[in-house]
Amino acid sequence: MAQEFFYDAQIRRFITQFMRIVSNLQVEFGKTNTGAVALQRVPVYYGDSSRQVASILKNNSENMLSAVPAMAVYVYALQYDRERVQDPFLVSKVRIRERMYDPVTGNYLHEQGDLVTVDRPMPVPYKLTLKLDVWTSSTEQKLQLLEQLMILFNPALEIQSSDNYVDWASLTYVLLTDTSWSSRSVPVNAEEPIDIATMTFEIPIWISAPVAVKQFGVIKKIIASLYDSEGNLNIDILDNGRLISRQYFTPLNYGVLYSGNELILVKPEEIDNRRGGKYGTDDSWPALIDVYGGNFKNGISQIRLTTPAGYEVVGTAALHPTDKTRLLYTPFADTMPANTLNPVNAIIDPETVTVDSNILSPAAGTQYLILGDIGSYDNAQPSVAWPTSSGDNFVARANDIIKYINGEWTVAFDSLAAANVIEYVTNLNTGVQYRWHNSEWAKSVEGVYREGEWSLVL
Amino acid sequence: MPRLSLWKDGTHSNDYKFFDRRISEMFTLGGTGILIHKYLGVEGEVLADATPTKPAYDAVSELNIQDLLFLENRDRKYDTSIYVSRGIYQVQDNSFDLSQFGLFIQTGTLFMVFHINDMVQLIGRKLINGDVLELQHLLDYNSLDDSVPVALKRFFVVSDAQFASEGFSPTWWPHLWRVKLNPMTASQEYKDILNNISSDPLDPNAAPVGDYLSTLNKYLKINDAVITQAEFDVPRSGYDSSVLYTKAVVPDGRPADPPGTGAVDGNVITADSTLSTADQQAVTSTAKVSGYGGGDGLAPNGLPVGNGIIFPTNANIGDYFLRLDYLPNRLFRFDGTRWNKVEDVTRTGLTPGAGNQTQLGSFINNDRTWTDASGQTRTERTSLSKALKPKADN
Repeated sequence: MAQEFFYDAQIRRFITQFMRIVSNLQVEFGKTNTGAVALQRVPVYYGDSSRQVASILKNNSENMLSAVPAMAVYVYALQYDRERVQDPFLVSKVRIRERMYDPVTGNYLHEQGDLVTVDRPMPVPYKLTLKLDVWTSSTEQKLQLLEQLMILFNPALEIQSSDNYVDWASLTYVLLTDTSWSSRSVPVNAEEPIDIATMTFEIPIWISAPVAVKQFGVIKKIIASLYDSEGNLNIDILDNGRLISRQYFTPLNYGVLYSGNELILVKPEEIDNRRGGKYGTDDSWPALIDVYGGNFKNGISQIRLTTPAGYEVVGTAALHPTDKTRLLYTPFADTMPANTLNPVNAIIDPETVTVDSNILSPAAGTQYLILGDIGSYDNAQPSVAWPTSSGDNFVARANDIIKYINGEWTVAFDSLAAANVIEYVTNLNTGVQYRWHNSEWAKSVEGVYREGEWSLVL
Repeated sequence: MPRLSLWKDGTHSNDYKFFDRRISEMFTLGGTGILIHKYLGVEGEVLADATPTKPAYDAVSELNIQDLLFLENRDRKYDTSIYVSRGIYQVQDNSFDLSQFGLFIQTGTLFMVFHINDMVQLIGRKLINGDVLELQHLLDYNSLDDSVPVALKRFFVVSDAQFASEGFSPTWWPHLWRVKLNPMTASQEYKDILNNISSDPLDPNAAPVGDYLSTLNKYLKINDAVITQAEFDVPRSGYDSSVLYTKAVVPDGRPADPPGTGAVDGNVITADSTLSTADQQAVTSTAKVSGYGGGDGLAPNGLPVGNGIIFPTNANIGDYFLRLDYLPNRLFRFDGTRWNKVEDVTRTGLTPGAGNQTQLGSFINNDRTWTDASGQTRTERTSLSKALKPKADN
């Protein structure tokens, strides 16, 4: 199978630009009818024309007169330039935000379009040698042309083959390396009626393979300090428990606060500074989304939250209709962490709960998460509200889960004993899931997610 | 009886005259028609511009030399009358030469002989270098380009002239003048011929024949096409970042809302706005993506730009304005209090000419003038050797 064809006319474009450099020069061409000096523009064309085209230009007639003066450009040499070799395996990456283009109107808009990455393989250095023949009919005419040409190269003249922002092979320079005064010998004999001065130019150019223009958005975060001082892969990269030496870098290093069904941008170092003591910032979600490349779609674009336990909660996001500092968030249920404990029927405060049949004679298997302590081993008599079959005091601590079984309350989850574990449980009364972590209950996935712990999928 | 001798002590004898008439007859019988454009000389410079090496002459003369340094006659004058003569030469096959210099020239050098006395009688002198001959029998009626309204004439220039060796009769007197002919070029030297022969004698507005015979116009069109391509590839120096999106930020560095977001878009915030956070809501960028070669004066993201020599008084926060009185022109952005520089317009056209405002180009393409103390208009652009050169102080 043949290799895919590519051709970017790179040398052709340099020749074109070189011909432009030496174009539009004029010489004195006698006098006008009013006696003023007449000027004539000197044509520049490629010297190594095909015989057939040359014949066409001559109208297929010997009688056409060659115009003098004229200048011809042609390639004299093209050599690999070993002195300019750089890392042949380098691939340079450039991230570019494009403006939105409307293919219907054919206009660029003010909004952001695609966010792309351009991968540029190292181009190959070459030295292009061009010759410029200057054909004149008199010495004075030759001097007029040479004087206009020679001031251009001091010591060199910049040349570009394109004005593309990412074309790193487009810019180079032209060096005048040699000038041959005349094709004739002095004294001039009558055999050669024309006189040609030849100027030699060198252009260090780069020839590039095709680049790759890719949609940007793969890198969501960067973790620094990959290697330790001995050059080995840092163990912290692989060990989630060793977070202290990690650094995360995300666009503008925003975190998010997940509360209720909303996400608010936070700067962890300034959490309570800019909202009157409340958590979060006044910073705009549309502005940040624009940094990520725009193209946000309400109800389709996703936010992914990485919980401390390593779960990734995925949900759809939508811009708040009136408050651009808030993002509405709907997590997918099947991405929520799985319960590790049986669900509780409610969360109650033992000191204020109404003592009724839900307490005194609930269905077997009823579970409550309690917010305060129940009972004490020092009590002289057991509590009426929390009877036990043995008649002993029923004792439970705040954050425990109690369970009614066999006609008495027991502790199903001992928060003191489970201080160092992570548990998940759902409150059947509200449908909210809670997480037991660091000796406290909190909504399972709500809270602050620092940079690197959340990501935006547009 | 005197000894027989065809040489008569330096006089043109009857034998000579006999031979000469017979030879002249041969030209009448077998020669080809030649139209002679007689070289008259050069006019020289007008007196005010004359220099010792480029003198002025009282009259046009073949003896005049236009450039006494390089010994050249560039602005040649030719007789408006055309002399009809006869010449003889050996027709030969010419080959076209696509020379190493890439210039398409022909090597059709001819050697032609003329009858000396007829020639002198006709044009008043022998043919000299610089005379132009038109060979009538080589008129080409079949140009490849059908739009050419005239048959293509064939011109040669005398590049050498001397007595022809075969033109000496037994009297030892020469009868023939041999000229070496090279193809004429459409150059300054023959402008007087090519510009003065009309392509249609009946039409006073017809283009001169040189417009059809010269390759100049064709090559200029080719050159123009190359320049157009070059300008398409690189319209201006530097890099075009106009299609790149520039993210706007508020003054403390946080990202600003993009255009089209909620109430911010279209909510004009004026300089006298009472909103303390007005500038934080501005949606234009304070900077642009710029590459090597500088700016182009366009606002980021294609936003509108005003221009003029004074700032507008009713500017809104985030407005852009291009000051044309700055050199180079400078793009500003209004932040509610002052106009901040965004960039200088340093991208320029690269085609040599008025649009080229590179540093060097601004010296070459400088047509500015000024009025001096004496009220005279002076041009800024001056040759170095003539700058502030003292005038005649009478």
